[in-house]
Amino acid sequence: MYGFITWLESTGVSTALRNTTWVWPTCESIHFIGLTMLIGAAGFFDLRLMGFMRRVPIAAAKSFMPYGIAGLALNLVTGTLFFIMRPSMYAFSAAWWAKVFFIVLAGLNAMLFETTLGARVLTLGPGEAPPTSFRIVGCVSLLSWFAVLYFGRMLPYIGTGN
Amino acid sequence: MLQRLQDSAFSMWVVGSDSLWSYPTILTLHTVGLAIIVGSAFVIDLRVLGIGRDVPVQQMRKVFGFFWTGFAVNLASGLVLFAVDAVHKAGQPVFLVKLTLIAVAIVITARIRRIAFGTAADGTSTTPGDARSLAVASLVLWAAAIIAGRLMAYL
Repeated sequence: MYGFITWLESTGVSTALRNTTWVWPTCESIHFIGLTMLIGAAGFFDLRLMGFMRRVPIAAAKSFMPYGIAGLALNLVTGTLFFIMRPSMYAFSAAWWAKVFFIVLAGLNAMLFETTLGARVLTLGPGEAPPTSFRIVGCVSLLSWFAVLYFGRMLPYIGTGN
Repeated sequence: MLQRLQDSAFSMWVVGSDSLWSYPTILTLHTVGLAIIVGSAFVIDLRVLGIGRDVPVQQMRKVFGFFWTGFAVNLASGLVLFAVDAVHKAGQPVFLVKLTLIAVAIVITARIRRIAFGTAADGTSTTPGDARSLAVASLVLWAAAIIAGRLMAYL
């Protein structure tokens, strides 16, 4: 792994991006905009799954999701660029691994939901109390995304080995 | 005055302490608040622009509750972040740009609340045309405020 990290950091792409002054701040700005899109749209749907705002038809609550996924896409692209530019800063950071863990958890949680409960969810009428499984999925998703944000923002401060 | 604020015992603790609970946590709270504020505004603006039309107006009003909660978090955390670096930030043009963008965005969000999500709109799913342009302005202003905030670390 160490070899891969040092190789990546020495590549022309990594070096060129790292040495272009505006790339990092621009990616950061996009990364922050992307996170608000994701947390806004996913948070709304998660809260509905958890049983809040029950008068909202669940299919309607889900209609913001494509825009949340667009935010996620922005962040996967900019996040990958950050990693390419400074691989050693991330690969040896416990906070970064914690962040990746929660991204994977949120992703698996969403996939599990879509493949097993996804069809059933749309049959839930307005005002109906969601089953426990929906509440758990919503809660895991919401907490995971905030954990991703937490470990991302705390990255310079925790688990850097300094 | 700014210098005294910056040199206060509280400011000294925030920046001087090695504890994760001081500066890093306040900074992270500011980002959590940002996600709640702009995330709420994003959903509100999308709804005005015709996404999620079946979400009842009465329910959308609850999203404004999250919006103002996030705003309270960021007003408080923002005041602390300002206090610890008051002299520098007060003279930083991009910080004043950020504050201006936020002020205008807040006014616009309050206006969207009034014209598109007031009790008069209950039971409707379409929004007035002028609300739509406000929603577009809101999206642009919040994104610009985020960019200005991020650039404070560089300019």
